[in-house]
Amino acid sequence: MRSLIRKYAGKLHRDRSVADGRVGIAALDDVMISEGAPDLSRLAADVLSRLSCPGVVAASPSLPFAEFLLRRANAGAEAIVPLDTETRTFLHDIPIVRREELAGDPAGAIAALLSGRKGVIAEGVGIVASGPVTLEQAYIHYSSVFHACHVKYILDVLREGFLLPGEEEAFRAFRETFLRPLTAEGLSFRAGPLDAPEEVLSEIRAVGRHTVERGLVDSFFGNISYRAGDTIYISQTAASLDELSGCIDPVPTDNRSTAGITASSELPAHRRIYEATGARAILHGHPKFAVAMSMSCDVKDCPVEDCWKDCTRVRMLGDTPVVAGEIGAGGLAVRVPPVIGGPGKAIVYGHGVFTTGRDGFEEAFRSMADVENRCREEYFRRLDARA
Amino acid sequence: MLVVDLSSGRTLREEIPPERLRAYLGGRGLGVRLLRERHTLSPFDPAMPVVFAVGPLCGTPAPTSARLSVVSRSPLTGTVYDCSAGGRFAWRLRAAGLLAILVEGRSPRPVVLAVTSAGEELLPAEGLWAKTVGETARALSDRGSVAAIGPAGENGVLFSNVMMGEGNAVGRGGLGAVLGKKNLKAVTVDGDRTVPIADRERFDRARADVLRLFRASPVIFGEFGISGYGTPALVDLMRRRRMAPTENFRHTVFDGAEAYSGPAIRAAYGAEKEGCFGCPIRCRKRASDGRSLPEYETVSHFGALNGISDLHAIVRSNDACNDLGMDTISAAATLSAWGEARGRFPSPEEIVTLLHDIAHRRGEGDLLAEGSRRVAEALGKPELSMSVKSLELPAYDPRGAYGMALAYATSNRGGCHLPAYSISHEILRKPVASDRFSFSGKARMIKIAEDANAAVDSLVACRFAFLGASLEEYAELLAGATGEHRDPKSLEEIGERIWLTERFYNARNGFTRADDDLPARFFTEAGTEGEGIDVPPIDRARFGEELTKYYRIRGLRDDGSFPDDGFLERQP
Repeated sequence: MRSLIRKYAGKLHRDRSVADGRVGIAALDDVMISEGAPDLSRLAADVLSRLSCPGVVAASPSLPFAEFLLRRANAGAEAIVPLDTETRTFLHDIPIVRREELAGDPAGAIAALLSGRKGVIAEGVGIVASGPVTLEQAYIHYSSVFHACHVKYILDVLREGFLLPGEEEAFRAFRETFLRPLTAEGLSFRAGPLDAPEEVLSEIRAVGRHTVERGLVDSFFGNISYRAGDTIYISQTAASLDELSGCIDPVPTDNRSTAGITASSELPAHRRIYEATGARAILHGHPKFAVAMSMSCDVKDCPVEDCWKDCTRVRMLGDTPVVAGEIGAGGLAVRVPPVIGGPGKAIVYGHGVFTTGRDGFEEAFRSMADVENRCREEYFRRLDARA
Repeated sequence: MLVVDLSSGRTLREEIPPERLRAYLGGRGLGVRLLRERHTLSPFDPAMPVVFAVGPLCGTPAPTSARLSVVSRSPLTGTVYDCSAGGRFAWRLRAAGLLAILVEGRSPRPVVLAVTSAGEELLPAEGLWAKTVGETARALSDRGSVAAIGPAGENGVLFSNVMMGEGNAVGRGGLGAVLGKKNLKAVTVDGDRTVPIADRERFDRARADVLRLFRASPVIFGEFGISGYGTPALVDLMRRRRMAPTENFRHTVFDGAEAYSGPAIRAAYGAEKEGCFGCPIRCRKRASDGRSLPEYETVSHFGALNGISDLHAIVRSNDACNDLGMDTISAAATLSAWGEARGRFPSPEEIVTLLHDIAHRRGEGDLLAEGSRRVAEALGKPELSMSVKSLELPAYDPRGAYGMALAYATSNRGGCHLPAYSISHEILRKPVASDRFSFSGKARMIKIAEDANAAVDSLVACRFAFLGASLEEYAELLAGATGEHRDPKSLEEIGERIWLTERFYNARNGFTRADDDLPARFFTEAGTEGEGIDVPPIDRARFGEELTKYYRIRGLRDDGSFPDDGFLERQP
């Protein structure tokens, strides 16, 4: 269990979602184990002792966005509601607990909220998340909340500006020192087309790691596939892109086997993209600026109420089409394939980015980095214009 | 609740105390609570009740929640026994203004219990006795939904089912025989009442969340999911994971499995979608000629477990079991144990005849009707019964999933995959994946899942819903339906109460740690290795260590017993 705690603490540091040294993780088997920053590991253990789940992560995020969202919320608000697909589908909302509510029994107040939701923002503390089935889930839920807060905050700033003392300075530091350009430089990719199964599997594993290490996606979010002959090799559902060994399903395109039941929920989209475009490689991730910018829609008096699901327009962010569609069988697989063929890239409203490679992954990877970099540029252009 | 005394023919409608519903929800929990005063009676004692109970979501549009739990004591296992089933019976029971029917006593002659919103009556059923389930359901079709037993239940087959007229089964533990001993051939329900929803906006929001999660789950609505292929979608996966029990669990790969895979069944029979009332998943599949098609466990056990790759023979076996009112898993596993004992597994041509012999207790069928444990003991080879607490193991080899191994052992109703359903994380990666070849952390994971699923069985919702959604969303549905705040933790606490109550009943009936064990084969023989996957025997010492850890997490002694005798008195 200790090795798992260290693994997830390491991943949180490597993906830069926690402040340096500011994570505490508690795990419960027949005995409780906790490690990390003393105050946070103690809090994680205290919270976990009031729940029946296997693990809790308590950490101070590397960026103060969750804290700002809490303080920007109305005085009576009990939760924030980010509008990205991750929140809409899995988190629903993110409860907030204010400093005064934490005064007496902080662990009790946080545990009460975690009894009903996957993650909580605690003022002055950070994000606390639980894992109902495994410790890994606590790490995943922390990442989900961090991601959702990131997307919501940058969108809120674009719409409403800075409202609190210190926000502008923190945001400047985020822009000037935290953000790094996304690039494929220094990485090597196999030239396609690839045919041998071992070669395909090895390249998928390597590219999965690259996407996480280069900050294109958070570890748990996204999927990747390659088509070789009559087989689609695709990452499994609930697989971390930087740990794909043994987690890639070969799916025959003629549907003679259902063993691909464990494949990514986006298998239908991948399959139809292959059918529609002739591409061989597909990357899908949730880079944050692309997700945020996809929801920055300026259509006035639009009759569509459920933008994630019902919008039929194809908007353009630069040269990248943006379409609506929910995860899995929710419509994404219908709307992405018709628009991705030409540009080799598409953004799904509130969700993430699909990119393709005609023969190998290098094109898809560079395209994904390019989309996110351009979305960043556009975001800051609009922000500067607003100022 | 309707209480029916079959001995006297008296019926009584009585209120269930609200605090009891708060403490046990409904379904399995309510049924287990109603057994409290009589849980040590023999399953065939006339005073032993059989409880049919729905949950608080039944009758609302909550997805997958029109289900029924049937609870009593199993004649096969001797344990407390619950099983849930879909169809339309549960919905119509609620529409008749009832949450539960408790049947006790023994009728002097065969009867049908007919229930409507206006009242209930016991109808003579001599003319239906010896009829198949299908014949019975057709004869009673103008009385709403039907739950009936077939010849197997009438003849005391220890793994006889209560069958829903729509084809769903209250399976495994032989509750059909309990009804048979009571001379109760069938129950019909019909009603016209609607169920109010306290907070429609909250309920609708939660329902939308659940449906979105269903659509996001590849196991449910994915290209190869159970909505499209039914549970036989698992055939290819279990083959690839090398954990499909073959020839009485001597091997874990069957080369002929392709013959009865999801795509093979679709190609041969059409496999049209059919669903329980209010279920968007519709995982049951029906052939173009109207026959119910078999589930994964059925095709695998009549297939690999008996070395049969003839799809049509497997479908005929399924038809026979459904019409005779017999559990397919236990029937196939009993035949497999018998086959290994005599040195020859039954042929495709023999099986249907054998199933009829079992249901009518003819010839060798009389012994086979007792289930694999008693068969193997009678043949002097008790080690060949692949069962836990006398319940035959389903089609997930425990050497391929260690959480499943532990869960088979700890299950209160015997060797069953459903109480903890660890296949969700060990194989299907929902909600996240766990290492199937490791015991690490499994004791707590199994405990949590057992509690959560006891709550699910009391709501009563379908296990498959939780391959997408979670108790988080169902707690919201419940709050919207009833107006009372619920969260997942409070539901799990109810589940824990139900689980421990069942275990306490079992302990009172003589079950100990020695019964929380797997057949020796799994500790001494390897599964079928290959394709880079090793399937070694389970490490018995490590299994025992994790079992002890499980007891400690549950607050039990290391020998699995309760620390004191006052557990029941402390429960509401």
